[in-house]
Amino acid sequence: MSFVWLLIMLASVTVLLFTDPSAALEAMITGANDSVTLALNLVALYGIWLGVFEILESTGVSDKLARVLRPVVRLLFKGESEETEKYISMNISANLLGLGNAATPMGIGAVGSMKPYEKDARKASPNMIMLIVISATSLQLFPSTVIGLRAAAGSADPADFLLPCTAATVSSTVIGVAGVKLMTALTGKFGRRKRRQLVIREKSA
Amino acid sequence: MTLYIVPLLFITVLLISLLRRKDAYSSFVKGAASAVDLMLNVLPYLLAVMVACEVFRVSGASAAVSGFLSPALEFVGIPGECTELVLLRPLSGAGSLSVLEHIYSTYGTDGLIGRCASVIYGSSETVFYVSAIYFSRSNVKNLRYAIPLALVASFLGNVIGCNLCRII
Repeated sequence: MSFVWLLIMLASVTVLLFTDPSAALEAMITGANDSVTLALNLVALYGIWLGVFEILESTGVSDKLARVLRPVVRLLFKGESEETEKYISMNISANLLGLGNAATPMGIGAVGSMKPYEKDARKASPNMIMLIVISATSLQLFPSTVIGLRAAAGSADPADFLLPCTAATVSSTVIGVAGVKLMTALTGKFGRRKRRQLVIREKSA
Repeated sequence: MTLYIVPLLFITVLLISLLRRKDAYSSFVKGAASAVDLMLNVLPYLLAVMVACEVFRVSGASAAVSGFLSPALEFVGIPGECTELVLLRPLSGAGSLSVLEHIYSTYGTDGLIGRCASVIYGSSETVFYVSAIYFSRSNVKNLRYAIPLALVASFLGNVIGCNLCRII
């Protein structure tokens, strides 16, 4: 993340230095302004969704939902607390319904309450990576923004892309989940081998 | 169909709360209060990502990189005209939305390019934004392979979707 950010900033500002130096600060201010506007909009949106979540929490519905989704959640996320499982099930249900803005605060809650990575608390645990990958590959079943835009642009059939779109989003999520499982298995194996070597070395010493 | 999801969701939640005799109003306020707190944590990350995205777009660097990459994308079945969209989609929702609108107004919505662009936008997420925000409240600073893996998976999804657009 840090490296990508640095690379993009450095490359873009260097280009601007030669093409249009006055546009550099202008573009940054536009971006910063957009982020503040977006943040204000998001406070409003998250305010609504976190409010609804709190009502669901007080009525016990979120516990029920978590219980229903538990088999799926446990299959993908091993060894987390019930609170985390609850956040994860809310996050996944909101994503499926296409309510990305409702899913985000649940995702933050889930990552915040997950157990730290046992090898290094400053690094992301496999479960955190799994949640990021599932959310970032977009589980959305109904991309309402795109359909709306297509209709506005005068499309004869605004929903005409849905089939390939669903295939794309499902396959990207499946590839992502498989990738996390594979990486976890690989790093786990290497970690174990390294630890075994350490033990052997200690014994011989 | 999605039109009805949100109102029905609210009615259900409120009715359940009424039936269980819970104080919906104070719960709602308590939840809404945490949104303010949350956004204060998230704003710096949001700002950093969006500043970078805007500079990337305005400087023409994104267009240059797109020009460089588009033959490769053509090769795997993604129309070259969609390259900038593929590039910006993981960075910013607003930035890539304006690229999508540009594609619609230039090439139309119902041709191959328009449909592929719809698939690319509809089937992926703003990977960098999601990653920055989800971790904004934890002490984790190193995301390990999360972002590369998410990017590769989304890209493969795009390839599959665009090739299906050619068939269906």
